[in-house]
Amino acid sequence: MLIFRKPLEGIERPQMPADVVIVGGGPAGMACALRLAQLVDAHNAAYPENQLSKENIYVLEKAREIGQHCLSGALLDPRAIRELLPDFEKDAPLDAKVTKEAVYFLTEKSKFKFPITPPFLRDHGNYVISLNRFVKWLGGKVEETGITVFTGFAGSELLFDGDRVTGVRTDDKGIDKEGHQKSNFEPGYDLNAKVVILAEGPRGSLTKQLISKFDLAKNANPQTYGVGVKELWEVPAGRIAAGEVIYTMGWPLTTHEYGGAWIYGSKGDGSNNVVSLGFVTGLDYADPRLDPQRVLQEFKRHPFVTKLLEGGKMIRYGAKSMPYGGWWAIPPVAGNGWMILGDSAGFLNSARLKGIHLAIKSGMLAAETAFEALIKDDSSAATLGEFQKKVESSWIKEELWKVRNLHQGFERGMFAGMFHTALQMITGGRGLRNRYPAKAGYENMRKLAELPADGGAEAHLLGPAKGDGKLTFDKLTDLYHSGTKHEEDQPSHLVIRDTNICNTRCVKEFGSPCQNFCPANVYEMVDDASQPNGKRISLNPSNCVHCKTCDIADPYQIITWVPPEGGGGPNYDGM
Amino acid sequence: MADTILVVVEQREGKLNRASWETITAGQAIAAATGWALEAAVVGGSTASIAAEVAAKKVAKVYAVDSAKLEPYTPDAFAAALKQFLAAKQPKLVVMPHTYQVRDFVPKLATAMGRTVISDCIGFKHEGGKLVFTRQMFQGKLAADVSFTSDAPWFATFQNGAFRGDKAESGASVAPVEIVNVEIADGVIRNKPQEVFKEAKQAVDLTQAEIIVAVGRGIKEQKNIEIAKQLADALGGDLAASRPICDSGWLPMDRQIGSSGQTVAPKLYLALGISGAIQHIVGMKGARTIIAVNKDAEAPIFEIADYAIVGNLFDIVPPLTEEVKKAKAGS
Repeated sequence: MLIFRKPLEGIERPQMPADVVIVGGGPAGMACALRLAQLVDAHNAAYPENQLSKENIYVLEKAREIGQHCLSGALLDPRAIRELLPDFEKDAPLDAKVTKEAVYFLTEKSKFKFPITPPFLRDHGNYVISLNRFVKWLGGKVEETGITVFTGFAGSELLFDGDRVTGVRTDDKGIDKEGHQKSNFEPGYDLNAKVVILAEGPRGSLTKQLISKFDLAKNANPQTYGVGVKELWEVPAGRIAAGEVIYTMGWPLTTHEYGGAWIYGSKGDGSNNVVSLGFVTGLDYADPRLDPQRVLQEFKRHPFVTKLLEGGKMIRYGAKSMPYGGWWAIPPVAGNGWMILGDSAGFLNSARLKGIHLAIKSGMLAAETAFEALIKDDSSAATLGEFQKKVESSWIKEELWKVRNLHQGFERGMFAGMFHTALQMITGGRGLRNRYPAKAGYENMRKLAELPADGGAEAHLLGPAKGDGKLTFDKLTDLYHSGTKHEEDQPSHLVIRDTNICNTRCVKEFGSPCQNFCPANVYEMVDDASQPNGKRISLNPSNCVHCKTCDIADPYQIITWVPPEGGGGPNYDGM
Repeated sequence: MADTILVVVEQREGKLNRASWETITAGQAIAAATGWALEAAVVGGSTASIAAEVAAKKVAKVYAVDSAKLEPYTPDAFAAALKQFLAAKQPKLVVMPHTYQVRDFVPKLATAMGRTVISDCIGFKHEGGKLVFTRQMFQGKLAADVSFTSDAPWFATFQNGAFRGDKAESGASVAPVEIVNVEIADGVIRNKPQEVFKEAKQAVDLTQAEIIVAVGRGIKEQKNIEIAKQLADALGGDLAASRPICDSGWLPMDRQIGSSGQTVAPKLYLALGISGAIQHIVGMKGARTIIAVNKDAEAPIFEIADYAIVGNLFDIVPPLTEEVKKAKAGS
C-alpha cells in the first residue's frame, strides 16, 4: 500500500511572522533576495530615522546546501546579473567566455552545419557557467546581507485567507513511510508572510496549488515543457575549446519530435576539458514508449559526438524540465500577497534555450515591488500588481514577445516549425497571427493501439537504454551520478491521485509511460498476479532528481510532485 | 513567599541521569539572575539516596517525591505524582532535562495543569524583570526567544549540553531533604510497562561479516528469502539484500547493501538474483571473492564477479546449500 506525503492535519505548528518569504533559492529567488537587500540597505542609509529590517526576509531552499538542486546547460546571458551586480565579472564563477559557436543538423550518420548561426543562437558575450556554482556564489552574497536562507526546508503548501496568500507552510520532518511520526518528528513551520514570492523552478508545487486555486491559467495558453537530460564529461584536452558552443537539431529525434542538444566546452584541469552535454526533448511527443534518457544515449552514438567523447569519462548526470510555452503561457504573476518568478512563471526564451537571465531579472523586479510593499505596509494586489506592469514594460517582455509563437509553430512537426520560425523572424514574432494557440504536451501522447508495434521511425528512442558502460549508460548508472539521496523512510512525495488508473488503465492503454519519461527510475511496474493486467505500480521516490517530468507528462494528469523531506535530492556539484 | 525554581532531576531504576547535573547548573544560573530560591525534587519509588546526592549541591531544599507506584516508570504515575506535588508546592518555574523520559511525561503533566512547556531550551535571559528562554528553530539556523504569558508554574526543559554538569555548585552545607509521600489512586496508571527496549545496536554488523549472502529482486517473493537464509546459515554467513528487497520490507533496512545502505568488504560475497546496478556495487565491490548467480547473462554484476553462475537461483541455491552442509559435516 502506497502512502503519499501530505502535511499532517490536526497538529499544532510553530508560527513565525515574516515580511517576505521567497520559496526556492535558485537564480530567481537569490537575485530577488539580493536586490531586496540592496534596496533595504539603500533606504536605511538614506533614512536613518526610518530603518527597515532584513531580519524577517527568508529564503526557503529544499536542498541541503545552496545550489545543490540547480542544473542547467548553462550559458549565461550577463544582461541581468550585470544590472544586479555591475562588478560580477570580478568574482563570479564564470568558466569561459563564448568564443565559437555552431549549429548543426544531424542525420543518423552525418551532420550539416548551418551556414550562418541564427541570430537567437548567437552567444558571443555570454558565459559558460555551472549554474550550481553560480547559485552557490550568489547565495553566499545573499547570506552576507543578513538575509537568512533556510536550506533543507521546502515549502509544502501555501496558506490562504480568502483570496489572499498569507504564508507558507514548511515540510514536516520525521514522518515514516506509513505517515506516522518518528522519534525525530518536527512539524513544519507556518511562516506568516506579508509577501510570498514563488521561485520554485518549473512546475513548482506551490505555484501549481496557487494556479489551480485561483484558476490563474484560464486566459493563458497551456504551459508546454521540455525535459533536459544532462551529462557532464571530462574529455582529453583539445577536443573542444573552453567557450565553444554547439547546438544540434535532428537526429536522434525524427521530424515528429521537438528538441535538440547542446554541447558546451568548459575548463578542465589542463590535461582535459569539461564538457556539458545534454538533450532537451519536448514533452509533447506521441509515443509513450519514448525515453528522454535514451534519447541522450542515442545522441552520443552519433559519430560526431562519439568522437568528441571518446576516451572521456562521464562524471555527473541530472535532469530538469523547462517551460517552453513562451509569453502566451505565462499566467498572471502577481496578486494579493503573492508573486511568481523565473521558471515557475515561465520566463524562458525557448528560441535561445535560456532562462537564467530572465529568472534573475524577474527576481529583481519582484524585489522592487516587495520593497514598495514593505514601505507602504501594503501587500495587496494593488501594490504587488506593479510587478506585472514592471515585467510588461521591461526587456523581459521585449525579449519574449519576439518569440511568443515559436514553440506553438512546432506543434505540427519540425518542417512546419521551421517555416513558422522563419516567418516569425521576419514579422517580429507574429508569424501568421498574433497569438498562436497551443495545447498541453501530454494531450499529444497516443495510445499504444494507435502506434506501430515495432516503434516505426522512432524505434531507436523507445524503451530503456542498455548502455555500454563507456559511452552510453543505462538509467540506473546515470542516476548514480546524480548523487541523489533521500531519507528512505518517508511517505512517497510522488502523489498519485488514483493508482487504480496506473494498474488497470494506463498499463493497457499507454504501457505505463512513467517508466520511460522519468529520467531517474522512480516508477516501476512490478509483477502482481492479483492485478487484472498482472502489473502494479511501484515507486522508488528516493531515486527522484526533482525534475517534475512525471507531473508534466503523465497522460492522465494524476501525478503531483511535492517536495520530499527537506534536504533530500540530487547533488548537482558542478552541473 | 519568594518565588521558587524547582529542578526535577531524573532517575531511572535508582540511578541519576547525568543530564540532571546540567539542569541543576541551569537552575542555579536562573536563581542567580532572578534572585529566586532554588529547590530540587526527585521522583520515584525509593529516592532517598539520590536525594542525598543532590542535597550536596547548592540548593535550598530537596524533595523526595515517593510512592511505590512510581516504580517502574510510567508517564501516568509521574504526571499524577508531580501534579499533586506541584499543586501543593506552587513553584514559579519547573525545570527539567530534555530527556526521553521527560519528553514522555511532561506534555501530559503540563496539559493536566493547564500550562505550557517551553521545551528543548539552550539558554535563558533575564531582561527587565522578564525571564526569556532561548530555543532553536529551523534546525539551529535561528534562535527564538520565548517567554511565558500563563500563570505559574511554568515548565521548561533544557537541551543536553546546554549547561555544564560539572559546573553545578556544591552547597556550603548539605541541604535538608523532605520526603513527600504521594498517593496515586488505583486506576490512574493505565500504562503497562514492558521490558525496557534497548535500541537494537545494529542487530547485524555486516561490515564485520566474513561471509555475506545477498539477495536481490530475483528472489521474487518474500517467502523465498528462506532459501538464501539456509545457504547463509550453512556457510555461517550473514544475510543481506539489495535495495528493492529492503524497500518492500522483506528484510530490515540494516541489511541493505549499497549507496543508500551499508558498505561491506567480506571475504566472500554471494549475490543471488542481484542485477548489479552501480548503486549496489559501490556497497560491495571491496569483497575479496564475489560469486554471482543470475538468470541474465548480461547482468552487470558479472563484470565484477569472480565466479559467474548464469541460471535460475531456485535451481542452484538449494543443492548448493546441501553440498555446503555435506562438506561441513565431512570436515
